[in-house]
Amino acid sequence: MKHFTKLAAAAALGTVLGTAAVAQELYTPNLAYRTGPFAATGIPLMNGQADYMTLLNERDGGIGGAKIDFEECETGYSTEKGVECYEKTKGKAIVTQPWSTGITLQVLPKTNVDQIPILAPGYGFSPMADGKVFQWAFNVPSGYWDAADMIVQYLEQDGSLEGKKIAFLHLDHPYGKEPLPLLEKLAGEKGFELLPIPVGLKEMQNQSAQWLQIRRERPDNVVMWGWGAMNAGAITEAVKTKYPMENFIGVWWAGHDADLKLVGDDGKGYKSISWSFPNPDAPVMKELKERVFDAGLSQSNAEEMQGVFYGRGVVMSMILSEAIQGAQKNFGTAEIDASQLRWGLENLNITEERLAELGMAGMVPPFSTSCANHTGHSGGWMLEWDGSKFVKASDLLTPNTAGYSDLIGSAASEYATANAPWAVNEECSATN
Amino acid sequence: MLNDIFIAPFVDMFTAPDFLMQVLWEGLVSGILYALIALGFVLIFRSSRIFNFAQGIMVVFAALSLVGLFAMGVPAWISVGLTLGVMFVLAVVIERVVLRPLVGQPDIILFMATIGITLFLIGFGETIFGGENKVMITEELGIPTGDTVLEPFDGLLILQHLDITVVVVATLLVLGLLAFLNYTQMGRAIRALGDDHQAALSVGISLQTIWVLVWFIAGIIALVTGIAWGARAGVSFALEVIAYKALPVLMLGGLESITGAIVGGLMIGILEKLFEIYWGQPLLGGNTETWFAFVLALIVLLFRPQGLFGERIIERV
Repeated sequence: MKHFTKLAAAAALGTVLGTAAVAQELYTPNLAYRTGPFAATGIPLMNGQADYMTLLNERDGGIGGAKIDFEECETGYSTEKGVECYEKTKGKAIVTQPWSTGITLQVLPKTNVDQIPILAPGYGFSPMADGKVFQWAFNVPSGYWDAADMIVQYLEQDGSLEGKKIAFLHLDHPYGKEPLPLLEKLAGEKGFELLPIPVGLKEMQNQSAQWLQIRRERPDNVVMWGWGAMNAGAITEAVKTKYPMENFIGVWWAGHDADLKLVGDDGKGYKSISWSFPNPDAPVMKELKERVFDAGLSQSNAEEMQGVFYGRGVVMSMILSEAIQGAQKNFGTAEIDASQLRWGLENLNITEERLAELGMAGMVPPFSTSCANHTGHSGGWMLEWDGSKFVKASDLLTPNTAGYSDLIGSAASEYATANAPWAVNEECSATN
Repeated sequence: MLNDIFIAPFVDMFTAPDFLMQVLWEGLVSGILYALIALGFVLIFRSSRIFNFAQGIMVVFAALSLVGLFAMGVPAWISVGLTLGVMFVLAVVIERVVLRPLVGQPDIILFMATIGITLFLIGFGETIFGGENKVMITEELGIPTGDTVLEPFDGLLILQHLDITVVVVATLLVLGLLAFLNYTQMGRAIRALGDDHQAALSVGISLQTIWVLVWFIAGIIALVTGIAWGARAGVSFALEVIAYKALPVLMLGGLESITGAIVGGLMIGILEKLFEIYWGQPLLGGNTETWFAFVLALIVLLFRPQGLFGERIIERV
């Protein structure tokens, strides 16, 4: 009986301590894809994200004293698996990071009911910028419509686009179609002809038909919304058909070093708009190397860590950790919940000074969010492939959001009407 | 509308014959690659009645083994030899572990087993090689790169040396395969098994040996396909989806016919490209290649359920 009492007491103590330990964790699942046709682009991003969280756990003991549980749920970029992962992780998650525009669109209505913030850095549904309608969704620091606007602005630097033809080579998938409403609007306003050219998932690696069309139509520029194997396929076809690389611009997901290394010097001049820039000499990168990579805690490799996508993954986790830290300070607790993290994401203020403190100066433009602005619209740089790596080819470009705020507003209300009853943030006004 | 369907495309072809030649060339290259993948399916089906769902992942596995061995410092052509060794070992393991215990089971069981092989190879491959995109060792293998630019009809025709090599190598492979099947004892044994399992077994043909052989040949085809596709857009697990392009080829040509795989592949490669360029893009917004081949195959099936070259099976009751 004595033994039994001791055993029961030990079990009770263990339960209490165990519960306390779990409570000190911040569960921030990532719906990752390290497998499948898009793994090549997913892996460096996931590694960057995971490594930064590992660094915080190792160096600082987590965030505000609470360890980060950055569990990955593998989706293979499949929308169905992504939804399963969301359902599996939502119980104790304080955030969901769905990756893939397809998964984001599927879980968007669910998160509005479950009251879990979606963090979709640089992807997802562009009207999520409207924080009054999409109170639980954040696509910081820039959205796809920002990217499309900045690309058009960049092209305009060489003169009016009136009468020009711009081919829009895109994955035939919700992600690829996402910027079409804005590009169509801009085509009407600026007088250029927009030529959408879809690429099916099974045609990603054999785009000869699409590039024959480009050869026949002779567009002044090709803008690409590619992902995974599509990018490498398009770039090799562009080289093959001798399309001038300097007239070929991709979105930030089409600026992956590994895709360009396939063509090397032949890809010189290819550009990609990007809200992040890799800086291997940044203090944070040195810390990641010393405390995570050299300690054997990373799945990355030295070459990958120099690239655009790894650096972007690091920035993504920094954004999440800043939101967590902000919420912890505001609510005076390390154990924040999903609604408190929403506050943190809504009150981000990433300044130059803060980036310098974090050892990330120049890796992302400064930006801030508010209850009405869930994107931040940081802007980005035009990067150019120099034959071995991406270099900056422009000063900071900022999107002209005033030019399409009406489009964001109308698309957001259309979404809310179509998904009625849709809870909006009544306390938030457009000027907040 | 009628003009756009029946007149404008042909006017386009007539007024820009150089472009038409380019479209036909690209279609031919795609078609030969489709035919290659389809051949892998046909060989295994002929000898064992198994629809090998794993053919796509075998392409990925072979290509990844090749670049993986090269990355370990093995010279390029020795890597090719070792990769063939890997594919042989894979064939033996599949026969011993998966197929032999399932002899005599219904076809659907064997088909499901190949799905199991696919899932295993995906996981195993990702564990060993990782999911990152890798560069095919094109130059190291001595495969010519660059292009030849011709000016037929005062126009422009770009022929990639890689594509020319693919066409030549694939043609030689197919001819070699046909010669092997028709003029060697082992080849005839494979055909005999395809024609009548029971009769073939009764004259002493070893089912196990033939299965290992056909899976190994499918492995060789997978390696050639992997090199050809990998040289175009890198080596990654995305290559697996290319295998799905072989399905309409098999529907069109017939699951049992080597000639069908070749003719079906070429037909689909060329026709889907012509349709996409002259009808799909102007009238339907493009991306018709995702469905055109299936529609074409379905139309053929309406009239010839066994495919163009498949054997008509008459079952009496």
